[in-house]
Amino acid sequence: MPAGPGRRRREVTAAAPRGRRSGRGAGSGAWSGFLLALPLMLFLAVLVLWPFSHLVAAAVTAPGGAAFREVLAAGRYRNALVNSLLISAAAGGTAVLLSLTPAWVLARERFPGRRLLRAAMALPLSFSGVLVGFLMVVMLGRIGAVPELLRWLTGRGLLAGAAYTSAGLFAAYLYFEVPRAVLTLEAAFRSFPSDLDAAARTLGAGLGERLLRLRLPLLAPALSSSFALTFSASMGSFGVALILARRFTVAPVEIYTELTGFSNDAVAGALCLLLALITVTVDRLAAARTGRRKPP
Amino acid sequence: MSRRLGILWTALIATILAAPIAITIAGAFSRSPWYGLRSEGTPVQGTGELFAYVLGLWGGNLLRSLQIVAVVAPLALLLGAPAAYAFRRRPFPGSRWVEAAAVTPLAVPGIALALALIETAGGAPRFALLAAGHLVYTVPLVVKTVGNALESHDPRLEAAARTLGAGRIAIVRRLVLPLLAPALVLSALLVFAVSWGEFNVSFLLATPSVQTFPAALYLTYTTNSFPVAAAATLVFLLPVVPAVAAIQALGGAELQRGAQP
Repeated sequence: MPAGPGRRRREVTAAAPRGRRSGRGAGSGAWSGFLLALPLMLFLAVLVLWPFSHLVAAAVTAPGGAAFREVLAAGRYRNALVNSLLISAAAGGTAVLLSLTPAWVLARERFPGRRLLRAAMALPLSFSGVLVGFLMVVMLGRIGAVPELLRWLTGRGLLAGAAYTSAGLFAAYLYFEVPRAVLTLEAAFRSFPSDLDAAARTLGAGLGERLLRLRLPLLAPALSSSFALTFSASMGSFGVALILARRFTVAPVEIYTELTGFSNDAVAGALCLLLALITVTVDRLAAARTGRRKPP
Repeated sequence: MSRRLGILWTALIATILAAPIAITIAGAFSRSPWYGLRSEGTPVQGTGELFAYVLGLWGGNLLRSLQIVAVVAPLALLLGAPAAYAFRRRPFPGSRWVEAAAVTPLAVPGIALALALIETAGGAPRFALLAAGHLVYTVPLVVKTVGNALESHDPRLEAAARTLGAGRIAIVRRLVLPLLAPALVLSALLVFAVSWGEFNVSFLLATPSVQTFPAALYLTYTTNSFPVAAAATLVFLLPVVPAVAAIQALGGAELQRGAQP
């Protein structure tokens, strides 16, 4: 199974020189490939590499790395980073746990209404962050649907304004993370070799043993990649927090405030770099883990 | 038993995800006396008038978003599809590295890219800067989608066409493009879905005269009454729902990586 795509890729490279019409040097296929990818490379160099190297240069050449020291010293900036890390990690883990069963059900079971449930899971994927923030206000704002329902049931305004607390941000992160985790895990569950599970059962393995010693190791890459995906999505999420973060702050909103409120470009740049460093590292680690079986 | 519980749990989560959307849509059509004149100071009483009011407020942003998509979609396909073909069919030294670099921007927070773009090219026309920001998050999706499609096709088809005497242009026009047509359509839909909802890059890059529709959503959420905000949300959702449905039907797994909330 792991050898499948890899073998095919080798075939491709082998077929390219053989299939060429005229025998112009062995590098011709590679040259045409280079030319085809050249616009993309220029695009990446101009719009990603250059801007970010500029940002790095500005942060590093500042006297004594002052901006980084300021960000990492105890205070508002470090709090924003820590808030982001904690809420994103907690929400990412919770989202993966909540998504296990729906992903399994959507991947393996056939029942009426399955397509509708799947569509409901997929729709929030394309939502703008501000829209997710607004939906959270609709549900948990000061006159949100849930507090109004609870007021009608109990006569007290429970949970009113919860959207604007860190618990509200956690719930909002879950709102866009669960669909991401469900669809990522669903793809993995679909290719899960159930005959192995059946074989383990005939050999007398109970459900607990099969979970721990068969399913978990087999699904570990999918679990870690869906956590990486949800974690870095919420680390970088700006729109949601812009609507909801009133009494506390998270890194993307802090960047925005520093830039527009205080023109503090140095601190904003350092925060941006730290944030990008975290999300890109997590993403690449997860890609390296699954990359042995699939190209990036 | 456990099967039924699993389906119930799935249905519960889907319901929780759908509930706020349903309430918002209902809000755009409800007529409650405490909304007053939709609390906007203008007589926005009927549903038709409400939507006319919303379009009057944010029509410019809507048009700007459509312009951005119209520019970004063809450019993203032109940049991404040939490169994906090169990575799969004409690999060159270092092409694996370029491919990894091409999908890495998806993991970079939008606000970080926006700041980097402003600091280096802040003087460029804002429309171009916005389009550039959208391209950075859509080109990787094209590279992935087209790359996956190429992986599922047998490369020997092209070799066979060549031995039968087909030239390069004929192979591209009559073999590669028809085979890749579904992937190209899927790519265009993904570009649309991501670009239409893009906020994290756009909000910082936007100026009062060059703003996209999600920026309008932010403004309406923070300044307008609930019915107006709900109607604007509905205008946003109208093209998204069929696009996401089509993406799901075509098996587009890239959406969960592409759109940044």
